[in-house]
Amino acid sequence: MSSLSIKSFVIIVILFLVCSESLIFYSFFQDSKRSINEILTNSLQSDVLNLKHYMQKNLKQKDINEIVSHMDNLIVINPVIRDIHILDNNKNIVYDPDIRMPQGTVHATGECIPISKIVETDLFTQNCYSFSIKTYKGLSPQYYYANIYIDSKYIDNLVMQQMKKTLLLFAIATFLFSIILWLLFKHYVILPLKGLRQYAYYSENPPKNFFIKEIESIRYSLSMTFKRLKKEQEELYNLSTKDPLSGLYNRLSLIEKLNWLISKGQRDKDEFAILFLDLDNFKNVNDSKGHEFGDKILLHISKTLLKATRKNDIVSRLGGDEFVVVLSEFKDENKIVEIAQRLKENLSKPFKLDDEEFTITASMGIAIYPKDGKDVKTLLQNADIAMYKSKELGKNNYQFFTDDINKAVQERISMQKTIRNALQNNHFKLFYQPKVDIKTNKIVACEALVRLIDPIEGIIPPYKFISIAEENMSIIPLGEWIIKEAVSQIKKWEQTPLKDIKVSINLSGVQFKDQELLQKIEILTKDIDRSKFDIELTESVLIEEFQERLNVIKDIKKLGISLSLDDFGTGYSSLSYLKDIPFDTLKIDKAFIDNIYTKDDLTFINMIIGIADDLELNVVAEGVETKEQLKLLKEINCEQYQGYLCSKPVPPKEFEELFSKN
Amino acid sequence: MTKLLTLFFAVLLTFSACSSENDKEIVISTNEWIGYAPLFYAYEKGELDKLHFKLIKNVSLAEAANLYAIGKADMVTTTQHEYHSLQAATHDIAPVILMDRSNGGDMVLSNKSTEALKNSTQIYAYLEVDSINKEILIDFISHNKIDKNKIIFINKDQKQIQNITNDKTKDILIVTYSPYNIALEEKGFQEVASTKSINSIIVIDALCARDKIIKTDKRRLIQLKKVLDNAINTIEQDPQASYKVVAKYLSNISYKEYLNSLKQIKWINKPSKEFLDYIQQYGYKKDTIIR
Repeated sequence: MSSLSIKSFVIIVILFLVCSESLIFYSFFQDSKRSINEILTNSLQSDVLNLKHYMQKNLKQKDINEIVSHMDNLIVINPVIRDIHILDNNKNIVYDPDIRMPQGTVHATGECIPISKIVETDLFTQNCYSFSIKTYKGLSPQYYYANIYIDSKYIDNLVMQQMKKTLLLFAIATFLFSIILWLLFKHYVILPLKGLRQYAYYSENPPKNFFIKEIESIRYSLSMTFKRLKKEQEELYNLSTKDPLSGLYNRLSLIEKLNWLISKGQRDKDEFAILFLDLDNFKNVNDSKGHEFGDKILLHISKTLLKATRKNDIVSRLGGDEFVVVLSEFKDENKIVEIAQRLKENLSKPFKLDDEEFTITASMGIAIYPKDGKDVKTLLQNADIAMYKSKELGKNNYQFFTDDINKAVQERISMQKTIRNALQNNHFKLFYQPKVDIKTNKIVACEALVRLIDPIEGIIPPYKFISIAEENMSIIPLGEWIIKEAVSQIKKWEQTPLKDIKVSINLSGVQFKDQELLQKIEILTKDIDRSKFDIELTESVLIEEFQERLNVIKDIKKLGISLSLDDFGTGYSSLSYLKDIPFDTLKIDKAFIDNIYTKDDLTFINMIIGIADDLELNVVAEGVETKEQLKLLKEINCEQYQGYLCSKPVPPKEFEELFSKN
Repeated sequence: MTKLLTLFFAVLLTFSACSSENDKEIVISTNEWIGYAPLFYAYEKGELDKLHFKLIKNVSLAEAANLYAIGKADMVTTTQHEYHSLQAATHDIAPVILMDRSNGGDMVLSNKSTEALKNSTQIYAYLEVDSINKEILIDFISHNKIDKNKIIFINKDQKQIQNITNDKTKDILIVTYSPYNIALEEKGFQEVASTKSINSIIVIDALCARDKIIKTDKRRLIQLKKVLDNAINTIEQDPQASYKVVAKYLSNISYKEYLNSLKQIKWINKPSKEFLDYIQQYGYKKDTIIR
C-alpha cells in the first residue's frame, strides 16, 4: 500500500466523518420529521376527538350553523387544518369555512381516508382525513361526515424550517468539528511528528515532551537512540583518533590536526613546532620488564606530557615509544626551548611503578613549520631526524632540526641506498690484511675486511657504511656475504701455498639478531677446514642478550671455528668474558699499540700478554705501523701483529703476491 | 486501511442496531367496567408495561370507541355494539380476547316499579344511546310493552347518569352498568331488569384490535392474553387482593360491592368452541380470537 501523508490521511478522515455525520444528520432530520408528524398528528387527533365529541353532543340539538364558530376556531387555532367540510348523510356539504380562505379560493378537494388510519400515514403525504359523526334523534342514529384537510404548505414550511435549522446545525457542527479535529491533529499529531522528523534528520534540538503518549514514546526512544549513537560515535571517534592505551591523539588524528595547522599557517602566516619524542632505551625496559610494565610507563609518560604542556598544545602517541607534541602558539624559539626543557625535566623525574622507582628519559627532535617543512611528512621526518641526532648526542636531550643534521641524514639515507645496491650488484669486496708471526716474520693469517667499491664514489671505507648497515639490518646479508666470500677464498687457497693461512672475519653484534646465524655459518663453512676460519668479536657483541649470544658463540666454537676477541683493552675488557667465552686469540687494540712507547701502555700490553699466556690464548697486536712498535712487541713476546707495517688490507691477488714475497 | 473501514462500519451497524425501535407501544382504550378489572389489575401490576401496552381509561364506552376511531388507540374494549359501530366506521377492527359476558352487570334501574312504568304517561329514559344500553332499553320496553312514544330519551354518558337525582315526581328509567349502578341504587333507584334476567340479549365484552396489530404483534397479544388470564385467576382466587389493586378504577366501590359486581359477570376468556360458534352471530369471527 502506498504511503499517505498525515495531512491527507486527516483530510480523508474528516471527509469520512463528514459523510458519516451527514448520514447521522439525515437520520436526525428524519427523526425530527417523524417527531413533527407525531406532534401534529396528536394535535390533530385531539382536535378531531373534541370536534367529534362536540358535534355528537350538539348537532342533534342545534343547527349546524350554530356550531360553525367552533369549527372556525379550530381552523384558526390549529394551523395544520386548512379546511373542514361537514357532509350530511347524503354526502352534501353542509358546512365549509369562510375564514383563512381568500376570496376566489377554491375549497380543498381530494380523497380522504378514515382518521383511524392516521397512524399508518403521515401528514406530509396525506391530504385529507375523514370521520363520521353519529347523532341520535330519540334512539335513531343520524350520520354526518367530516373531512379534515391538511395545510400541506404549513407542514412543508415547518419541515423546511426544520431542515434549514438541521442543515445549519449540521454545517456549523461539521465545520467546527472539522476545524477542531484539524487543529487537534495539527497541534498534537502533525506538528509533533514534523518535529520528530526534524529531530530524526538532524539529531539535534530534541523537541519537548508530547501530549500523545505514542508520539512521546517515539520521541523518548529517538532521544535515547541519539544519546547512545552519540556516545558510540564518540567512542568510535576516540577509537579512530585516540591512542587506546594513552588516550592521546593517534597518528591519524595527529596528521589531520597538522594538516589543519598547516592550512591555517598558510592562511595566517602562523608557525608551529613539532617535538618528536622517543624514549631512551625503552626497548630494554620492555624486554626486561615485559610489555605490561612497558605500557604502564607509556601511560605515565603520556600523563607527564599532558601535564607539562599547555591546553592548546597537541600531544599524540605515534606508536611504540614515540610521541609528538605540537606547539601551536609560541612567540619565539625560546618558548619552544622552555617547553622542551620542561618536558625533559618532567620526563626524567624518577617515578614509582609497582613499588619500584624508575627513571626514564627521552630524546627529542624539534622541527618548525614552515621553516623545516611545509607538509606533514617532511615535518615529522625532520623532527625524527633531529630526534635521532639528539640520541646520537647522548640521549635525554632535545635537538632542533638543522641543515647539517639534514645533510648527515641525507647522506645516511644515500648510504643505505648504496649498501642495498652494493649487495645487489656485488660492489662489496673483501680485502685481506696479513697477520704476521713476530718471531718468524711470516704471514700466518689474515683478517678479511669488507670494502665497498662504488662505481661512482670509489672505495667507501667501512666506518662510513658498517654502522648504517647495522642500523638498517643490511649487515645480516652483508655478513653472510662476507662469510661466503671468505670461505670461498679459503677454498681457493687450499691448493696454493696460502693453504695454511687462517682467515678471520668480523661478526657484528647485529648479526646475532639473526636466529639462523649458527645454521648459516655451519652451512657456509661446511666445505672448508674450519680450523682455518676465525671469527673476530668485539665486547659490544655481548652487551645485549649475553646468555643467548654466549650459547651461539659456544656452538660456533663447537663447529671448530676459532674465536678472537677484537679491540681488547678498550671498553670494559672484562676478564669474565675471557673466562666464559672460549676465545682462542686476543687482539690488543690499536690504541695501546699507538702508545706502546709509554710505560703504562707497555706494562698494560705486557699484562695482557701475560694473561693470554696463562689462559693459553694467542695474542695479536693490532695497528702496528712502525718497526719500533714491532721491536717492543717482540721484546714482550707478543706472538703476532697486524698493521700497516706489514701491509694495509689488500685485495686477494695483492695479498697472494705479498705472501709470495714474504 | 481496509481493517479500519471494516471496524468503522461494524461500529456504525452496532449503533444503528442499538437505535432500532423496540416493540412499539400499543394503546388500549377502555372504560370503567367490572369486566375490565383484569386489565386494570395487570396494568397496576406492571404487566402491561412489560409488554409495552398503555391503558387509557375513558368515562364511557363511546368515548373509548371514539379514541379508537380517531387512531389514538390501537386496541379497544367493546361490547358488540361498539364493535359493530367501529367496524362500520373504520373497517379495521377485530376481536382478539374475549373478556366477559354480562350476567346482570348491565341493568335497567327505575324509581318506579315496572307496573308503574307501564301506566306512566311520561317516562324519562337516561342512557348512553350509542351503546349496548340502547339494545337493553329497547329489549326492556318491548318485553314490558311500554309505549315508546311516552318515553323521552336522554343521551348521557355514565358519569353524567351517575349524578341524576331521584325526582320522585318523575318516572325515570336508567340504563346503566356496574359499577355505576351502585351510586344510583343508593339514591333509591331499583333494578327493574338486567342482563341476568334478559334472555333475549347477550352482552359480550371483548378486547378488539386493528388488523395490523393482529398481524404484526400476534406474539404480544398472546402474551397479553396470558397476563389477562392470570389476572382473572387472581381476581377469582383472591378477590380481596385484586380489589385493593383495581378499586380505584371502579369509582372506589366497597369490597362488598366489588364482590357483587363480579357476580354480575361471567368470564369468557377461555371460551368453548360452542360459545365461539354461538357468538359468530354477533360478528365475532373466531379466527382472530385468542383462546
